[in-house]
Amino acid sequence: MTRRGYLARKIGLAVITILVVVVINFLLFRVLPGDPVRSVIGRNVRISIQTQHALREQFGLDKPVFPDQFLDTVGQWMRGNLGISWSLRRPVGDVLVAKLWNTLLLIGLGQILSIVLGVALGLVAGWKRKTAVDMAALTFSLIAWATPTFWLGIIFLAAGSTWLGLPTGGIVTPANVGKPLYTVIPDLARHLVLPTLTLTILYLGEYMLIMRSSILEVLGEDYILTAKAKGMSHWQVLRRHALKNAMLPIVTLIALNLGFTVSGAIYIETVFSYDGLGRMFQTALVKQDYPLLQGAFLLLAVSVIIANLLADVLYTYLDPRVRAT
Amino acid sequence: MLNVGWEGAPDTLNPAYAFLTEAYTIFDLVYGTLTTQAATGEYVGYLADTWSHSDDGLTWTFTLKDGIKWHDGKPLTAADVAFTLNAVMADPDGWATVSNYVSGFTEVSATDDKTLTIVTEYPVSNMEYRLSWLYLAYPPDFEGFETAEDLQNFSNFELIGTGPFKMSTFDEDARILILEANDDYHGGLPTIDQIVFQTYDNADALIQALKVGEIDMVLDVPFSAFAALSDMEGVKPVGLPGSYFDELIINSVPADHDPAPNKNPALDDPAVRLAMAYAINKEDMVDVGLFGLGVPGDTIVPPQLGGGYWHNDDIQDVPFDLTKGNEILESAGYVKGADGVRAKGDVRLEFRLQFPSDNSYYPRMADSMTGWFGEIGIKTTPEAVDPDSLYAATTPVGDYDLVIWGWGPDPDPDFILSVMTSDQFVEGGWSDSGYMNPEYDQLYLDQQQAIDREARRDIIWEMQKMAFDDRPYIVLNYEYLLRAYRSDRFTGFIETPTWGIESFQSLLQVKPVQ
Repeated sequence: MTRRGYLARKIGLAVITILVVVVINFLLFRVLPGDPVRSVIGRNVRISIQTQHALREQFGLDKPVFPDQFLDTVGQWMRGNLGISWSLRRPVGDVLVAKLWNTLLLIGLGQILSIVLGVALGLVAGWKRKTAVDMAALTFSLIAWATPTFWLGIIFLAAGSTWLGLPTGGIVTPANVGKPLYTVIPDLARHLVLPTLTLTILYLGEYMLIMRSSILEVLGEDYILTAKAKGMSHWQVLRRHALKNAMLPIVTLIALNLGFTVSGAIYIETVFSYDGLGRMFQTALVKQDYPLLQGAFLLLAVSVIIANLLADVLYTYLDPRVRAT
Repeated sequence: MLNVGWEGAPDTLNPAYAFLTEAYTIFDLVYGTLTTQAATGEYVGYLADTWSHSDDGLTWTFTLKDGIKWHDGKPLTAADVAFTLNAVMADPDGWATVSNYVSGFTEVSATDDKTLTIVTEYPVSNMEYRLSWLYLAYPPDFEGFETAEDLQNFSNFELIGTGPFKMSTFDEDARILILEANDDYHGGLPTIDQIVFQTYDNADALIQALKVGEIDMVLDVPFSAFAALSDMEGVKPVGLPGSYFDELIINSVPADHDPAPNKNPALDDPAVRLAMAYAINKEDMVDVGLFGLGVPGDTIVPPQLGGGYWHNDDIQDVPFDLTKGNEILESAGYVKGADGVRAKGDVRLEFRLQFPSDNSYYPRMADSMTGWFGEIGIKTTPEAVDPDSLYAATTPVGDYDLVIWGWGPDPDPDFILSVMTSDQFVEGGWSDSGYMNPEYDQLYLDQQQAIDREARRDIIWEMQKMAFDDRPYIVLNYEYLLRAYRSDRFTGFIETPTWGIESFQSLLQVKPVQ
């Protein structure tokens, strides 16, 4: 099959997957126990029974789930409208864009750092296996990977705010609220230090371990021995022959992680009061805010699927076998 | 500048559709109301100077204070006040969160710039209380909404009011809200120029922010963190007797109710209820569950309501006495079996004991209770249930035995009394116990119309006694309201059971430490 045919098939599959996810999510939220109107208003608000009925009507909850509510939702989406959040009374699209930007900033930074550092560390450890360097890197990575997110975050929060004077949460200081983010970069950076550091350490271990075992496997191959026998330097062997093959599992892992990071690093966001998508998912679920939930899960599904699609595309460059099949 | 940290943020700034307490904290500072509750619990004039009602209690006349201006400089008139009240009356479903406060109102009109008349269908006994929650919206901003949905979707970011503070910035995504002093405030100039509200998503960060001085005041202090604050330099923790209570709900849905309740029939036996009351050590529960930050409770009307006026002081609570509990069950014919569980005929004293899973101290309370109940031969199995499922199982279904849950009553006893009325045990209603007592229901209606304060109190005392003796609820405790602030930076807070230390009266006079 040609590369074009391979891609067309993958894209077709991705579109079908998104459609299936949309339908499943729609039904899934509606089998949750409880009454969305009640969840939105909470337990301690004085709202008459009649007004609750009016809200139920306004939200379309008085109609049958299928087909009425389903068609209403799909029809709205077709018009490019994700609806209005029941709990926040803001357009779902606006909420998602704002939180997505926050999340991408934090998670993107953390991911890039952990990928670069993790891969480099894994490479060195694999190359220098069974030396003190390898042992140190391995121990550090295992500990980092096994550390509970919440715990590490709280430790950094306490230490960073006490000794380094770093902020305990949020994205900007109140004085900078309302200004465009690029004009307050130093302040933004101060707020990002601790959560990014936490995120980097937590993901770094995983990348390092995968990279190390991958490079070890590749280094045991016959063609590496052949390359060495041809008299190539260590660096040449590593760069020309080992690295490209060893990167395959890492690409898969990066794609998987990137897809899921859109769901936000909920623990990190909670510890550092960072208002990203993860927190929003949680609130929407607790409030049974269907428009917000549906929009959020659509975004999540699309990101995971696109990340996988990108991985598939990358494979066609990295792995000749994919091109050949 | 006063920096305030809290664990939430307003859901919206539109008073027609705000459900979270954070929104009301802001409304209280920015908006104005005709009346307000003083720290003593009594209602006093806020924008209203004087008021009176006709002898039949159907016509109320309010005179406004002089010199009140909206934040944009326009003077407030009686017609402006009438605007909000009429808007709410015309669209009760749109003004979802406040329409209860105008029920029974038939006509509101301004007779001149300073005078407002409210005519009601029946004498409204808690008029001053109701008006204290009716925030006066700025008419030009709230005109012309055609549907309830349009009104509720209005973000009201400008939030023009008449209060001591005015809106400066609200960034919903950075979750920072800034208020600034209103130089034209009719009640004097606030001492602090700015109040900044910042959201933290976990209590540890909030306490840490207070410790390092990033914030000056915390509005959400968890019970578990309170003790540690006492040792913190420059920080003053404040524990105020509050009105939030926790209760043990006993399924009281009548067996012949449609749909029929699913419960252990032994729960209908007054002897079993009384024995359970004897087997609960409320003091111990406050210590174990609330870290000592509360007091044992007895009736559904906490002593903090109305400065203690409404709480029935004559009620003698059932003491903790396991021997007595055993005796009661023994003489009621419940015999201990080989496994230590009592039974009468086929009916074993074995109950489900559920509680909402979003609460951190109910598990400890449920464990303690299970221990004590075990000693009088009642077997209970604690189970945490998702709050939505728990609500679905209680109202109006009655599929439970015992539930631990809590209420935050209004400053006026009307709402919490309504929770025990029969017609609230329907879809969307507030009754979870399913208590049905026509006599109680009638008294509830009577107190709504008893315009004489003492007469109303007598009725409310009787209702409390009724609910106490029949035990749809065993009230466990009244929780403290916990706050903390940097006492090395600010001083002069007023403490109230409704607003903690953040009422508008309090923040109006708070000043920096010299």
